[in-house]
Amino acid sequence: MNRVYRLKFILWLVVGLASAVAAARFTQGLGAITNLSDPTPWGLWVGFDVMGGVALASGGFIMTAAVYIFRLERLHGVVRPAVLTAFLGYVAVAVGLLFDLGLPWNIWHMIVFWNPHSPLFEVGWCVMLYLTVLTLELFPVPAQEFSALAKVRRILVKGRLPLVVAGIGLSTLHQSSLGSLFLIMPYRLHPLWYSPILPLLFLISAIGLGMMMVTFESHSTAWLYRRKPETEALAPLGGAARWVLLLYMATRLADLAIRGQLRYLVTPGWHMALFWLEMSVMAIVPAILFSLPRVRRTSGGQWAAAGLGVFGVVMNRIDVGGLAHLSRGNHIYLPAWTEVAISAGVVAGATLAFLFMVERFRVWEQRPADPLADPHKLPEFDRVGMTWLGVPAIAGRMVYSLGFIFAAALGLALLAPQPAASRGVDPQPVHRARGGAILWIDGNLDGFGVAFPHDRIVKRLGGDTSCVQCHHMNLPRDRASGCYECHRDMYLTSDAFQHDWHASPEGGRLACVQCHPSQPRSAAGAKPCTGCHKDLTPAGATIPVKHYRAPGYVQSMHVLCINCHVQLAKQEGKPDFARCVTCHKERRGLTDSGDTTARPDAVRGILLPAMTR
Amino acid sequence: MQAWIEFGRGPLFRLAFCLMVLGLLRVVVLTIVGIAEAYRRNSDRIVPWKAIARQTLGWLVPVRRLLGGRPVYSVTSFLFHVGLLAVPLFLAAHVRLWRGAVGFAWPALPQRPADYFTLLAIAAGAGLICGRVFHRGARALSRLQDYIWPPLLLAPFVTGYVCAHAALGPKVYQEMMLVHIYAADLIMLTIPFTKIAHCVLAPFSQAVTAVAWKFVPGAGQEVAATLGYAGLPIWVANSRSAPAAGDKKEALVK
Repeated sequence: MNRVYRLKFILWLVVGLASAVAAARFTQGLGAITNLSDPTPWGLWVGFDVMGGVALASGGFIMTAAVYIFRLERLHGVVRPAVLTAFLGYVAVAVGLLFDLGLPWNIWHMIVFWNPHSPLFEVGWCVMLYLTVLTLELFPVPAQEFSALAKVRRILVKGRLPLVVAGIGLSTLHQSSLGSLFLIMPYRLHPLWYSPILPLLFLISAIGLGMMMVTFESHSTAWLYRRKPETEALAPLGGAARWVLLLYMATRLADLAIRGQLRYLVTPGWHMALFWLEMSVMAIVPAILFSLPRVRRTSGGQWAAAGLGVFGVVMNRIDVGGLAHLSRGNHIYLPAWTEVAISAGVVAGATLAFLFMVERFRVWEQRPADPLADPHKLPEFDRVGMTWLGVPAIAGRMVYSLGFIFAAALGLALLAPQPAASRGVDPQPVHRARGGAILWIDGNLDGFGVAFPHDRIVKRLGGDTSCVQCHHMNLPRDRASGCYECHRDMYLTSDAFQHDWHASPEGGRLACVQCHPSQPRSAAGAKPCTGCHKDLTPAGATIPVKHYRAPGYVQSMHVLCINCHVQLAKQEGKPDFARCVTCHKERRGLTDSGDTTARPDAVRGILLPAMTR
Repeated sequence: MQAWIEFGRGPLFRLAFCLMVLGLLRVVVLTIVGIAEAYRRNSDRIVPWKAIARQTLGWLVPVRRLLGGRPVYSVTSFLFHVGLLAVPLFLAAHVRLWRGAVGFAWPALPQRPADYFTLLAIAAGAGLICGRVFHRGARALSRLQDYIWPPLLLAPFVTGYVCAHAALGPKVYQEMMLVHIYAADLIMLTIPFTKIAHCVLAPFSQAVTAVAWKFVPGAGQEVAATLGYAGLPIWVANSRSAPAAGDKKEALVK
């Protein structure tokens, strides 16, 4: 059982980390923890959690069909784990969706507000109904342990056939309709993946995946619990999966040929590499492996071939869900670590639930027993710590909770709290105005600026004595410091005082008491700046400096200019004098080439198609 | 050094604080689950809940116990706890940090009482160290962590007091601050996994003993008599070599 305990510890670590990320997700929103954006609103969570999760659950309907419809009694032993896997897969999908939906509390809307034209509507309803069916199919397993539920169990076992039929119907419906979702985006999905028969391709691959997933899951748990692998019973599944995979390959290549897109198979690039990697892992290599009798009849071979195929089909879903989309504009989406953590956490949680069910209920013919749990066994001390934590149930409780809190605390520490749900205004440092008699004021150098007739305004305001009307504060030993020295950001408030610089040994080298002579050491009780900097505010300055928090550049410029302009406009009867165009006349490139139409960010803003179709 | 200070009060503080909160929650939950399991497994379900409650409250308000074996030590310990809780939680500078970080805060102590509490904690802590080192019985019961904890707990108090009062140059101030922050981080990181977890487990300790062990009054003396230590002081009993592991097993089998 050591393998199980080790695996469980790792899974609890992952769940702990994911819990911390989940807390951030639901308190700070999607923007805080994902790399998703308006051009890429669907990412890893849709590709892996939802589409991959649904695909991985396909073993449920394949196995119930094989055993209860086609009466392949040999496979009876793997039906229960397959249904359990499917059930947990769908629960994982639902949980993953809650993370991915912007307003998760509206998830019930599709039940009331119908939109029958949307494939997502069909997917949502099918997932909901199939999850119900799976719950009813699985319920007899835990019900076996409680005598009070015997009656319910009998009814469910009797009504199994209609449930199985409903399950198969619902499952096939929405395995394919997940493909239909992408029919709407022919200009977004690369032609190697986009196809009008995407629903069919999804269905065929889901059938193949279901067989491989059951094989993979059975061998993995057999290794984990040191059980005898069911190699004999599973061999025909591998044989069948081979034919399904060959059918899938043939359909997909024929579809490419009919649509005349075969040339992309040999057009070098990211998409060609991705396609061939996906096809090899998902279909070609597993089909070859399953064709070799030596592989098909051994447990290791079955495990490897099935694992490869499972990985490949999930990769296919992730590709269709995001990786195979054409890059538009200059946005490249790569999942953030927090997104990966949530996905891994959902899978880890489902795995823990699987292990719990297997150990607690009769999913297999016999429940796995741990010799250490025997109450008559003498305690064995841990060789390292010379301690005995108790029987496995108690020891597990202590160790897993320890792993969980460590991972959760680490996650919380890594996720710095954000000031608000949105990233707010990005910092935009200000560049100084250039020029002499006429200053070109363009703080963020975007080419939209104001030609400011400095010398003319000086003359109008009264010559040299008028400096202080605008230059209301100077840097130490400076005269008429530029606006940009303190108003350092276009829109954000900057700190004109810089407390930490004054206190640091590398900067001002001031001890606390030099500015804060009394307790408590707050801004209110501090010495005024002018106590040291005698030349800070020039005599006659009209703009008061109170708190040394300089407003954004744009705001300060506007307040300074517009107040005078409004007064003058009234006095002189020229209303246009206070309008935007008086100052914001023209756009000049940084080189003054005279070309006023070429706006660099206008070119950047257009989403150019990456390839012509 | 500025970078180290920022790390200590940023990510490391968040890690330490979260681990402290989650870790304490964990031990509380594990303790409650343990009590529940012991209760379920008991052959009789008779638990003297009233006596447990009375004992627990009696230990929470230790005035009743002050006149026990070592009254000076008990009073010092009580004063130490008062300073230990009052200053970190209610110092004006700390409250201000909380307001900046989480947006809300609570009333703070004025500067002068906070100073007195700090000095009280330092003095009482020093007294406790002496009481442990110079008392034979206490020494016999002490483990390594019992000697490490008081100085570690006092480090942030001493450095914090010096930072707040001495006219230091910026470099010394930063060094003091570094010790202050990292000592506090270390304390928070280790609280849930050491004996300091009694800050949340204290209300359960009486119940654990009563439910899980069901000792009758005077059981301790009977155990000591059975082991042949009746009437001996603790340091004598402790210095006697424990029975070898093999003997123990035999005793168990018998």
